[in-house]
Amino acid sequence: MAAMSLLLRAAAAWGARRAAAGAAGGVRLAGAARLPGAVAPIRHSSHGKRMFIIKATSFYDSRFLNLLRFYIFLTGIPAALFITYVNIFIGEAELAEIPEGYVPEYWEYYKHPISRWIARYLLDPPEKDYEKAMALLDIEAKKTEMRLMELEARRLMRARGDGPWYHYETPDKNLTDDSLKATPDN
Amino acid sequence: MPEDRDWEVYKAPPTRTPVPEKSTSLPNPVHIFQAAFSYVFDRPVTFFREWIERQHAKNKFYYYHQKFRRVPDLSECMEGDYLCFFEAEAQWRRDRMVDQEIVAIVRERFAACQQREGPNQFQNCAKEMEQLVQVTKAYQDKYGDLGAHGNARTCLMKQKHRMIEERKAQENADQ
Repeated sequence: MAAMSLLLRAAAAWGARRAAAGAAGGVRLAGAARLPGAVAPIRHSSHGKRMFIIKATSFYDSRFLNLLRFYIFLTGIPAALFITYVNIFIGEAELAEIPEGYVPEYWEYYKHPISRWIARYLLDPPEKDYEKAMALLDIEAKKTEMRLMELEARRLMRARGDGPWYHYETPDKNLTDDSLKATPDN
Repeated sequence: MPEDRDWEVYKAPPTRTPVPEKSTSLPNPVHIFQAAFSYVFDRPVTFFREWIERQHAKNKFYYYHQKFRRVPDLSECMEGDYLCFFEAEAQWRRDRMVDQEIVAIVRERFAACQQREGPNQFQNCAKEMEQLVQVTKAYQDKYGDLGAHGNARTCLMKQKHRMIEERKAQENADQ
């Protein structure tokens, strides 16, 4: 212990001597980077000379980080507390075989209680989504069928000319005057 | 809490630790470290976990694996019956997911066997290796090069081509 304090005191004295020699006009190395105001390693003294240290502003960066932390924690902390409460006091479901003659509700296929709650109160049962998709498909399929049949009917009526469509009104045939073509020598 | 593996399937090898014979009177530092670890980490954590499980046990509820009814396959659907196509497609996708899980389980079993046996794996894991080869070959045959947009229709067409090739090969073999 005594040796340690002797060593430290010797180091401080050597440092002070070296700094004094440098400040008195010795050549200072260019790479000696030091904050202005810190002249020599001094213990138990007041601050060095008060300086106005010029550096780039950190106002915008720190404001951004503060705001980021604030808005993340504003909802993050209540969410984390709620989820921790649910996980500890309610707990996840256990896997079980489907009992005989029992049809589970559609939300009973999920493990986590929050997933079950969302499936039960917010989302539609998957059977309903399935049936809705099938209904849309059915409507579109019927529309396609109707359109194809209409095209076919149009084609046939245009070709055969015996249907209600593609009727073009022609003048009455009793109005035609056949006298010009009645005899072969006209 | 991660579940333990199924001890029936992935058997732990029998322990063969020899009975130690103490030759010094110094305490074994390993025992000290084990005791320290147990008191500092193991006991508090286990106590907390058991407290949590006591809270869970107050209201238990269960979840089930959904069983889907089988619907007519794509090969049994009439042409233009889009509803039948939709249901067959949904069933095919569910079956593909099940097959992917089966392959993953078989692969996991083989990896566990490898890890367990270490240098003896080539002799002792032959059954698992055979099973993995068969399962992956079957999966590749059925769902193999369908691509990202593979659906029930492309899978059926692949099956049709496979059967045609088989028939051609048989005819060539007969000749």
